[in-house]
Amino acid sequence: MNVLPLILYAAAGVAYAIHFARRQPQAGRVATTVLILAVLAHTFVIGMQTMEVGHVPFANPSRAVSTFVWLLALSYLYLEITTDERAMGVFIIPILIGLQTIPAISPGVEARDPILDSPWFWVHVSSLLFAYASLALAAVLGLTYIVQFKEIKKKHLGFFYTRLPSLQTLDVMNARAITVGWLFLTIGVVVGAVWTAQARAISPDDPNLQAMALNDPKILFAVFAWAVYSFAVVARRTMGWSGRRTARLSVFGFVIVLLNFLPISYFFTTSHTF
Amino acid sequence: MHLFLLGVSHRTAPVDLREKLDFSSRDLGAAVEALVTRSAAAESVVLSTCNRSEIYIASADAESAREEVVAFLSDYHQLPRDLFLPHLFAHSDMAAARHLFRVAAGLDSLVVGEPQILGQVKDAFQAAAERHCTGPLLSKTFHWAFGVGKRVRSETALGEGAVSVSFAAVALARKIFGRLEGRRVLVVGAGEISALTAQHLRSQGVAEIVITSRTAAHADALAAQVGGRTVPWAQMRTAIADADIVLTATGSQRPIISREDVKAVTGRRRAEPLFIIDVAVPRDVDPAVSEIEQVFLYNVDDLQGIVQDNLARRGAEIARAEAIVAEEVTRFTVWQRSRRAIPTVVALRQRFDDIRRAELQRLEARLAGLPPDARARVDEVTRLVVEKLLLEPTEQLKALPDEETQAAYTEAVNRLFRLGDGESAGAASPGPPSLEASARPPSREASARQGNPTDRPHEK
Repeated sequence: MNVLPLILYAAAGVAYAIHFARRQPQAGRVATTVLILAVLAHTFVIGMQTMEVGHVPFANPSRAVSTFVWLLALSYLYLEITTDERAMGVFIIPILIGLQTIPAISPGVEARDPILDSPWFWVHVSSLLFAYASLALAAVLGLTYIVQFKEIKKKHLGFFYTRLPSLQTLDVMNARAITVGWLFLTIGVVVGAVWTAQARAISPDDPNLQAMALNDPKILFAVFAWAVYSFAVVARRTMGWSGRRTARLSVFGFVIVLLNFLPISYFFTTSHTF
Repeated sequence: MHLFLLGVSHRTAPVDLREKLDFSSRDLGAAVEALVTRSAAAESVVLSTCNRSEIYIASADAESAREEVVAFLSDYHQLPRDLFLPHLFAHSDMAAARHLFRVAAGLDSLVVGEPQILGQVKDAFQAAAERHCTGPLLSKTFHWAFGVGKRVRSETALGEGAVSVSFAAVALARKIFGRLEGRRVLVVGAGEISALTAQHLRSQGVAEIVITSRTAAHADALAAQVGGRTVPWAQMRTAIADADIVLTATGSQRPIISREDVKAVTGRRRAEPLFIIDVAVPRDVDPAVSEIEQVFLYNVDDLQGIVQDNLARRGAEIARAEAIVAEEVTRFTVWQRSRRAIPTVVALRQRFDDIRRAELQRLEARLAGLPPDARARVDEVTRLVVEKLLLEPTEQLKALPDEETQAAYTEAVNRLFRLGDGESAGAASPGPPSLEASARPPSREASARQGNPTDRPHEK
C-alpha cells in the first residue's frame, strides 16, 4: 500500500526537478499539485493502518519511516505554501522518495507490546517524528544556504544563485525549523525518559526497559543530537551564530538523526525493539 | 487596409535628432489625434521613448501614407524634412507588425531585453485608444504585440540579470538580504555611481541611507539628492557597525577600510551579514576584508563581470526570442490573410441577402394574408437558410493557405456570383452575365473600413 505514495512522490520529484532547472511556473504548479496528491494518498494509507491497529502506525521501524515521510511532506508543503518558495522541493522530495522505498519494500508488522499501550508512547513517538521532519527541513535549508553562500562569497554566480532564495530567507527559515525541531526533540526525549521510569515500576523484568540507558546507541545518539541542536539554538541567541555556521550545524545534526533513525534502529539498538 | 510604420530609433538616428522628434514630453494623445484628423489614416498610434519615435498607422493607401506622416512630422515638430528624412525607417504590413513585435519583446532595445519597453508600448496604445484613434487593425496588432512581449519574457531569459553595475549591486544585495526594507546603507564618498546605486537602493525601500565624505559639502549634496543623512568623516568606521550595506566610492589612492576596521564591528557583535560594495578605482576596501565570515565584498570588476555574464546570457537568449517573434508573425499573417477575404465575404452575403429580400418582395402579395408572427417566421427561416448556406464557404475562403490561392478563389467567387455588380437586387431573375460587372474589382478596403459585423468574429 505504501507503493502508491512512493510513485506519486517520484512523479512530484520529476516535476520539481523540471521546475528547478527550467524555472517554468507551470511546472512548479504541477509539482505542487502532484505532491498534494501524494500526501493525500499517503494520508489514506496511514489512515487505513491507523484503523487497522487502533493508533497511528509507528511502533515498527518501517511504519515509523512511512509516518516520518508523511510528516516531512506535510511540513514541506506548509513551508512552500506559506513562503511561496518552491526551490526547496527539488532537495526535499529525494529524501521522501529514498525513505518511502523502505516501507514500500518491507511494510513491517505493527508491534502490539502491552507496554506500548500508553498515551506516553503516542506523545513520545509523534513528537520525535515531527522533530525529525522539522530537522530534515532545517538540514535541507542549511545545505542550500551553504551552496548559496559559497556562490555569493566566491563570486561565482551560477546555476544555484538564480534559483535559490536569498541567504536571509534561508537563514530565517532554517532557524525556525531548528527551533521547532529542537522543541519537539526535547518533548520527545523527556517524555521517553519519564515513560521509561513509569513502565519500569510496573514491569521491572522487561528486557527492553532494562536496556533503556545512555549506553544504548539509540538513546546515546538521540541525546547527542539533542545536544547539537540545543547548542545551535543557544549559540544563535547568545553568540551571534547564524548563517553558515548554524547551517552546517543543522546538516551535521540531521546526519546524527538519520543515522539514529535508520541503521541504528534496524541493527544496533537493544532497547526500542518492540 | 494596410499597416504602415514610419519612425526613427537609436539604430537609425543620433540622439539629438531623436530628441527633436520626441513626442513623449508633449501630449501624446493630442499628437495622435492631430495625425488622424489631418491624414487619410483611419487609425494611428505614436510610440515615443528616449530611444525611438515610431508612428503606426492603418491606411487604405500605403503610398500616400508615407508622405502624410512625413508632412505631419515636419509640421508637428517644425523641422525641415531634409533634416530627418535620411534617418527615417519605414515598414508596411507584415514587416511593420514584425518590427512592433520585436520592439515589444525588447529585441530592438538599446539594452536588449530591458523591461520598460513593453509598458511603454502599452501606454502608447492606451493614449491613442483614449482619443478613439485606434480601430480593428491597430488594436489587433498591438494586442498581439503585448502577447508576444509577454511570451518572450516568460519563455526566455532575455530580460534576466542586471546589466548595469548599480543594478547588479542591488540584485546581489537582494540575494543576500532578501527584501531590503528596513536595511541600512552607508555610502562612503559622494560620487555619481554612489548616487545612482543609492537611488536604486532607496527605491527598494531601505530604511536609512547614511552618507559620509571627506568633503562635507559633497556628502550634504548627495544626502539631499537621495534623501539621507550625513555623518562626519571621522565617524566612518563606527558607522560601518550600524550598516548592512556599505558602498564605497572615494578617490582615495590607498584603501580606507582595513580588515581590522571591519573585524572590529563583526563577529560576536553582530550576526547579520555585511555587504560591502567597493566601486572605487583604486579600491577603497582591503581585499582581505572578504576573509571575514559574514562579509561579502564585491569590487567594481566583480560587478562588471556579473554585468558581462548577464549580457552574454541575454545574447544567448536572443535566438529563442527571435524564433518566438517569427512564429507569432506567421500566425499574425494567417489572421491578416483571413481578414483579406472579408470584403468578398461581405459582398457575397450582401448578394445572397438581396436575393432573399427580392424573393420575399416578389411573394409579397401571397404572404400578405399571413398573420404577422407567421410572416416573421418566414423571414427568419429564409435568413437562416442563407446563413447556413454561406457558413462553410466563408470559413473555407478565410482559411486558404496562401495569397495566390486566395486571390484566385476570391476572383472565382466574385465571378460566379457577379459580386461588385451594383444592380445586384435585380439578380433575382437570372439573366446573361454582364462582362462589365465581373471585370470591375470589388472595393475591398471600402467595405472593410465600414466595420461590418463580419469583422468582429476574427478578433478572437
